[in-house]
Amino acid sequence: MNRVVSGGVVSKSWPAVLGRVILWVFLIVTALVTLFPIIMVFLGSFKTNLEVTAGATLLPESWQFANYAKAWETANFSRFTFNSVFVSVTVTIGMLVVSSMAAYAVDRVQFAGKRIYMGLLASTLFISIGAVVLRPQYDLMVSLGLQKSLLGVIIILISAHATCFFIIIGFFRGIPKDLDEAAYIDGCNFYSVYWRIVLPLLRPALAVAGLGAFQGSWNEYILPLVFTLSNPSLQTLPVGLANLRYGIGAAAETQLMMAGACLSILPLLVVYLFANKSFMQVTVGAVKG
Amino acid sequence: MRKLHAYVFIFPSLFLTLIFSIYPLMWALRFMFYDYQGFGTPVFIGLDNFARVMRDAEFWSSVKNTGIYALGKLIVTIPLSLLLAIILNRSLKGRTFLRAVYYLPTIFSASVMSIVFFIIFNSYNGILNQFLIKYDIISQPISWLGADHAMLTTVIIAIWGAVGNYMLLFLAGLQGIPEDLYEAASLDGAGEYEKLRHVTIPLLGPVMQMIIMLAITISLKGYESIMVLTGGGPYGKTEVMYLYLFKLLFPISPESQTLQQIGYGSAVGFTTALMVGGITVIYFFVSRKLNNIY
Repeated sequence: MNRVVSGGVVSKSWPAVLGRVILWVFLIVTALVTLFPIIMVFLGSFKTNLEVTAGATLLPESWQFANYAKAWETANFSRFTFNSVFVSVTVTIGMLVVSSMAAYAVDRVQFAGKRIYMGLLASTLFISIGAVVLRPQYDLMVSLGLQKSLLGVIIILISAHATCFFIIIGFFRGIPKDLDEAAYIDGCNFYSVYWRIVLPLLRPALAVAGLGAFQGSWNEYILPLVFTLSNPSLQTLPVGLANLRYGIGAAAETQLMMAGACLSILPLLVVYLFANKSFMQVTVGAVKG
Repeated sequence: MRKLHAYVFIFPSLFLTLIFSIYPLMWALRFMFYDYQGFGTPVFIGLDNFARVMRDAEFWSSVKNTGIYALGKLIVTIPLSLLLAIILNRSLKGRTFLRAVYYLPTIFSASVMSIVFFIIFNSYNGILNQFLIKYDIISQPISWLGADHAMLTTVIIAIWGAVGNYMLLFLAGLQGIPEDLYEAASLDGAGEYEKLRHVTIPLLGPVMQMIIMLAITISLKGYESIMVLTGGGPYGKTEVMYLYLFKLLFPISPESQTLQQIGYGSAVGFTTALMVGGITVIYFFVSRKLNNIY
């Protein structure tokens, strides 16, 4: 990690000093541009609507903490938050269970069709015709009667667990098979080895994969949008927030949109600050950008 | 016996994959040969849908927009993220903090990100225009989301959201370059620039090739943030391929005047996927040839 490439060497020559100045100006300007929208919206969420729409101020003239209460109640963010938490937590747990079970079977047992199964799973990572599969997925849920709850969204999100599977199976190399054998001798069976030996040792992998699953489902927009078209009370935060833009009179209440945006960023931000390291691991190879 | 248990354990995964990924794919592949609006009886029409795709001016305009969007995004994102990664891979005070700052936009949902930027770029009471007017940089509000600038604004937002992600991927690649090579280069008297030119860039080549390939496919497929920000408007100026496709299958946005056309939509989807795949493959072979020159 700590690569010493002449950066540690203190050089006093003019070009070197100039180079450092340019470097830092570049880094700081880039950082400010990156942070500007976030700070703007955060500070804006405490302003009155008048101040947001009329004045070009940075800090609020008076801090309107009531914006959050209003967004929470009037703009229905309590409902959206509940739905988002419900979807994300269920999807994360479901994905981890489904993928860790499958990864355990694939890594520990030789069975016919294993290669076909792995190929199938890998192909779902690479073959994507985007929105096209949304329509049949939706129709399928309608025929199963699951489009009226968030269950449809949850099941479809869990079904896209290939990334999670490959992250977890990557970690299996670190769990020696001798442990399984010892447990079998002690009287464990296939299921208790999974539950008592493999899962506890898999904890770091589950944390990394779970973080990715949580972030993905928390941020998902299209699926919940499609499934809540006829039932607004099922909207998640990204959907509810985006709808404010089109909602009647919403344009006049920009400060509530800002408060809502902050509310929907907050949980991920907290997780991000506390788990910065593992977050960085998750996203290496993640498909976003 | 254990084999039986193994089948039990892969069953949930296999079942979900088959029913909710593979079956929908087959369904779409079938309906691209049908005239089907979502109700009534589908009528088999052979390749007519594809003939219509060829004549569909709105589709080809969305192809053009996608090209502009992806190119504009990548031209800035890739060099900028590579530069940041190279800088932040050296020992530098505040390195961890800066990495976290640049990476921050990546955790935003596309929808939230677009709402935030809608508030900033909004023509009439957008924050950016207020500031520019207050400090006398402009006298008239700029219509950032109007027909003339909408694409540029969309690209700027996409860059903002993507740089951190690719910086991190490049950082991971840089960390795979063995330390001794730099030491050896130093012993041979190489300066900063020579090390970059003769060690970093060549050794990063294969990783870079993969990252750029990923970046190309992602930017050709992106449409969620555009959907929230402009809905493809004004006058279809920011309508990208996958957004057009989405509107054919779920005509829901208030601005959308498209009718639901599932059979035709499937054909558009297949054509689009084929184009994205084709571009990726072409890039892969061209870039591999370029790699060999080194």
